[in-house]
Amino acid sequence: MEAKVIETDVLVVGGGGAGFRAAIAARENNIRVLLLSKGPLARCGATPMAGADYTLDGSSLHRLGFRGDPKDNREKFFNDIVTQGYFLNNQKLVDQYVRNAPDRLRELLEWGLKVDCSEERAIDTSGINLMNVLLRRMRKAGAQVLEDTMLLDLLVQDGQVVGALGLDINTGEFIHFNCKAVIMATGGWHKAFWPNTGMRDLSGEGIAMAHRAGAEIGNMEFITFCCNVLLSPPVWRGSIAIYIMDLICGGELTNREGEVFLRKYDPYTVETGTKTEWNKSFVSFASRKEVIEGRGSPLGGVYYGTGKVSWEDFERSAMMMFPNWKYKLMDLSELCKMLRSRGKVEVGPAVEYFDGGIVVNEQFETSVRGLYAAGECILGPFGSNRICSAITEILVQGTDAGRNAAEYAAKAKTPFPDAAAFAPLREVADFPLLGKDGVRPAPLRRHIQEMAHEYLGPIRNQQGLSSFITVLDDAAATKLSSLTVSSPVRSYNKEWIDALELRNTVHLLRAAAKSALCRTESRGVHFREDHPYTDNDHWVRESVVRLVDGNLCVTSRPITVTTMTPPKGLLPFLDMMKMMMESRSDVGGAH
Amino acid sequence: MDSETITVTVFRFEPTSDEEPHYQSYKVPFETGMSALNALDYIYQNLDGTVAYHDHAGCGLGICARCTVLINGRRGFLCQEIITGDILLEPVSKKTVIRDLVTRIGPRDTP
Repeated sequence: MEAKVIETDVLVVGGGGAGFRAAIAARENNIRVLLLSKGPLARCGATPMAGADYTLDGSSLHRLGFRGDPKDNREKFFNDIVTQGYFLNNQKLVDQYVRNAPDRLRELLEWGLKVDCSEERAIDTSGINLMNVLLRRMRKAGAQVLEDTMLLDLLVQDGQVVGALGLDINTGEFIHFNCKAVIMATGGWHKAFWPNTGMRDLSGEGIAMAHRAGAEIGNMEFITFCCNVLLSPPVWRGSIAIYIMDLICGGELTNREGEVFLRKYDPYTVETGTKTEWNKSFVSFASRKEVIEGRGSPLGGVYYGTGKVSWEDFERSAMMMFPNWKYKLMDLSELCKMLRSRGKVEVGPAVEYFDGGIVVNEQFETSVRGLYAAGECILGPFGSNRICSAITEILVQGTDAGRNAAEYAAKAKTPFPDAAAFAPLREVADFPLLGKDGVRPAPLRRHIQEMAHEYLGPIRNQQGLSSFITVLDDAAATKLSSLTVSSPVRSYNKEWIDALELRNTVHLLRAAAKSALCRTESRGVHFREDHPYTDNDHWVRESVVRLVDGNLCVTSRPITVTTMTPPKGLLPFLDMMKMMMESRSDVGGAH
Repeated sequence: MDSETITVTVFRFEPTSDEEPHYQSYKVPFETGMSALNALDYIYQNLDGTVAYHDHAGCGLGICARCTVLINGRRGFLCQEIITGDILLEPVSKKTVIRDLVTRIGPRDTP
């Protein structure tokens, strides 16, 4: 079938906050900018569903007229991000985050962002409000957009991006994009796991296609699981409502035996690890441990209840975030009844954020000329554990990536690819439509998602990772090439989309599982039962995955240090966690 | 209760090859607290890979509204509609069907 041909200067891939902000910045240069949104405009990706907090140093926040702690400063904020990341951070990217966070918030306020409340070093807004503000601004800036359009692969000639192959999901028509620069802003790859906390579109194609095009990816083993994610009833599986409720109302986690299992841990670690955003790594670790040791709930989680908090206090706090027991459009009145009668709900860790991704420098350039990346899809500033806001991340990085890509595109001499150059990419994409009696994508996807949740969760070991890698390698070697769909009709073919996405999620899971197996230590959100120590003598290194003749080769290299020298020595994981918590500056708040 | 099955009847129409729409019924194991979307996911994953519903970018929280369909004749979100028995699922507009329950969305209001 004939493909549509679209020419632009900068192609932005991703319809969340990083992509929108990059498109706005790229338009400052008055070149042509086209943004691809895989789903509904301003309502897909992770940003619209975010809480959403925006972190910056407290004194800058104070100067903007909010609560903010005036005794906070950029050095303290920098220190805290690096210690929260167990020193695995790229410190140049931490500096970029800290330095740009105040300006990005200032302009958002000028553009009409509403602030719900503020604390020592953060403001709270909603992801929907943020996306609406960015959408208005992007339209005003004159960027073009395409909805329900998925990018499949990049076209690279002589080490330079010259175009990309896209798919109109509704019609099944291919689109040949001719462009000078591409900005990947495709976010995480939650869809590789089940259950997950993400929207249904996040399948990591940006990271996978950048890797196929020659860019490096790294720190893929660092995958943050959100704790207290609802596992039941089915309608709410994956919702973070209880996670939020626990932070603002308090409450209590118990295991199958009714034991308040957090009491087993160091009181300081529990205090910091439940009252601040350290809870994602600490509570996920502790909950998963209960499940592995046979004290979990039937659905593989633990139980949440109101504990010692009186119902009056609990409900009063809950009403701040869940007015009339509504969260977004979820009606939580049944949950309210259950908690009021001292009932308990099943919750557990589920995948939430990806600390690793495409390797970029501080200009957000990849190693492929003309290819830029920003937001959750990059190996970003957070090292092995993120506590501070990913909303700040997408805005500071999107802006710089957009500006730099536009500057490059304005000068680049990019050859115009002919249609024949797209043929090999189209052939790969069409393949699942042509076969008969092969492997069906949906059951394979679910099988792999459930294994990913089990073996790439907060607690890992050599045996589990190795068996998962065997399954993934087999999928990559045989099953992916025999995926077939039940119907060859191109328009809105769910199985075809699944097949196209599976190629990417399997690729990223292989990279992550192999990196997790190589990292013979425990650090941040990566805990190895068989290597329960943080090894600062050998492992203050970032993992890098290279694609060599179709094989994934994991290596490592020293991290990028500017001012803070990493510690030395071998420490038990929980002692290292406590040391990192205690290294925090004297600024209060949840971050 | 959870060992029961329910019947989920789905409007089917593929405009490039079907002359007329038709309805297809599926038996789905019932789980307390399941959504209409959970039922369709079960059908897609276990019974019929050709069934189309808006899924490639759904939020699952009732904020994107793209999974709006007629559920037993009444507009609702697939992701938030808790079902308790047999259901009939039809597109919001039979004139703008791309495939089955997926419809073409007109120009939307600027949020």
